[in-house]
Amino acid sequence: MATRVLLVEDDERIRQALGLALADEGYEVVETATGEEALDVVDPDLDVVLLDLMLPGIDGIEVCSTLRSRGDLPIIIATARSDTADVISGLEAGADDYVTKPLVAGELAARIRALLRRRRPDTTGAASANPVVQVGDLEIHPTREVVERDGAALHLTHTEFRLLLELASARGDVVTREQLLQRVWGYDYFGDTRLLDVHIRRLRRKIEHDPDEPALVLTVRGSGYRAGGA
Amino acid sequence: MRARAARRLRSLSLRARVAAAFGLVTLAVAALLSFTTWQLASNYMLAQRERGATDQAVIDARLVSDNLARGSPDLPALLVGLTGEPQTGVVLRVGDRWTSVGQVDVNALPGDLLRAAGLGTPARQRLVVHGAPVLAVAVPVAPGGGFFVELAPLTELDRTLRFLSATLVAGTTAAAALGTLLGWWTTRRALRPVSDLTEAAARMAEGDLGARLPVPPENDLAPLAARFNATAEALEQRVQRDARFASDVSHELRSPLTTMINAGEVLRRRRDELPATARRAVDLLTADVARFHRMVEDLLEISRGIQAPATSDLEPVDLGVVVENLPADLVGTAAVVVERPAPLVLADRRRLDRVLANLCQNARVYAGGVTRIAVCRRQGHAVLEVDDNGPGIPAEFRDQIFERFARGPRPGRGEDSGGTGLGLALVAQHVHGHGGRVWAEDRAEGGARFVVELPEVTR
Repeated sequence: MATRVLLVEDDERIRQALGLALADEGYEVVETATGEEALDVVDPDLDVVLLDLMLPGIDGIEVCSTLRSRGDLPIIIATARSDTADVISGLEAGADDYVTKPLVAGELAARIRALLRRRRPDTTGAASANPVVQVGDLEIHPTREVVERDGAALHLTHTEFRLLLELASARGDVVTREQLLQRVWGYDYFGDTRLLDVHIRRLRRKIEHDPDEPALVLTVRGSGYRAGGA
Repeated sequence: MRARAARRLRSLSLRARVAAAFGLVTLAVAALLSFTTWQLASNYMLAQRERGATDQAVIDARLVSDNLARGSPDLPALLVGLTGEPQTGVVLRVGDRWTSVGQVDVNALPGDLLRAAGLGTPARQRLVVHGAPVLAVAVPVAPGGGFFVELAPLTELDRTLRFLSATLVAGTTAAAALGTLLGWWTTRRALRPVSDLTEAAARMAEGDLGARLPVPPENDLAPLAARFNATAEALEQRVQRDARFASDVSHELRSPLTTMINAGEVLRRRRDELPATARRAVDLLTADVARFHRMVEDLLEISRGIQAPATSDLEPVDLGVVVENLPADLVGTAAVVVERPAPLVLADRRRLDRVLANLCQNARVYAGGVTRIAVCRRQGHAVLEVDDNGPGIPAEFRDQIFERFARGPRPGRGEDSGGTGLGLALVAQHVHGHGGRVWAEDRAEGGARFVVELPEVTR
């Protein structure tokens, strides 16, 4: 079955051209021009949402957080620039990845493939070798993709879960940002660590007792992160 | 750094000149005063001493004369009594008979003096006897050419005069030194606004448009500082307006560009279904749309990069990590050499990556690819080196290549490469934005080396 992409873009011609190119890449594209429309047409059969942040009416950030509150549907946001607050707020609102305009169908397809690939449970490497990984008071079950604290499950997105698992599997060794980007996002994120930093922040908010004084996910100045409390 | 040192040297030489002038004037005035003092004091003291010695000699001569007139036999005792102090002595000539007492040698006395005294004229003369200065006073004592010579020591006076001259020379030297110091200090104070201005103008020339001068409240240079600031303000605003315009234009261009790129992608995928002519047209179209894309991206980046990176984007970055994570298609077969521990810089990682990527791309387009990428330290700075084996860059182009749309020494070649003409300009802009420098140099082995120098931060 073809991957179903919801394309939310208000510029008529861009939407048509992008829709055409994505369809040509083999995707089934659902096109909408506004955020309201997008929230109406979202259904469980969708695989990924491609969301322009600059929308008339409800803006992209709001659409993003509404979609995230409803579930784990992968979201890629499209921003004007890679160095604006837009990127940060979009990622904070729950987006899994971002692309900068002008959007190129080929590049977009690569991102979508990587995003969908990491949603499949990891049956190789770290996961199968360690039935349960412990970080501080957290219990990570790689095969079930569940994180528990005192028997209660914490709700993490797929991306956050994979990030935590990579850090935990290194057992306190430093994992560089590049390694994390490569292993979790799955393709070359040359020069962009913003994506990682925001996800780390999101992860800390969910698992740390005090996100301002992290004890489980520690920053290593100048190189990367490592798991603490081991 | 080198330029700053040169500027300092120039202002230093002016300061040195002014200080030297101060020193010379003080020296001249002090020397004149000292010389006058010396003349007056030494003449006065010498005159005093001479008068004293002469008076004494005259009195003594009268005693001797009385004694001679009486024909008293205790003349030798009297003469001995007259030579009390060391370095004194008397000589008496009566008729052809010479009598001398004390440290005096008749033959050592000057002939002129003796002749004058022999003719009945009192005379005096300064001479050196046994290494000590003395004053010889000759007084006639008896008719028929008899005379009496008394030597009075001048050692005490000589010592006083020596001390006086030493004091005057030392005082003059000290005054000249103080004058020089005063000149140095005064010019430093006076020239500080000028060197501030030079510094600010230079920073501006290096691209820091925010450089401003403090305007002193009461100062002859206040109008200059105010005018400089106003000019700088106007320039900054104008540059920002231009940058904003370029940014707006690029932004607007991106919407149609997106449509073109994606429509082009569809055509490219279906290239094989097209007739030959259409296929060539599609190739030309998509290649140039791609170049257009890169150009718009570079223009956007360059126009928004006029300001230095926001502090929120700055973080400690390990240069070793940066070069080791360059995408393989950029590095190719180049050797990556990293000095351990690798230096850390405070940087926006994205811009730093861009700098390296552009340098690598530049090497690929103009020199057949990068041969070596190195991270090291030079004089407290973190340094990145990107080497190639190309033809090198002629010295006269080494500054020019960092300008926008510069095409290098061989125009035309870059056109085929799909380069945007903005790559090295972006490199320079990003490096300057991080407080660093970038330049190109020749390698001894041939080829060019691009050097990026950034301030190192501690781990």
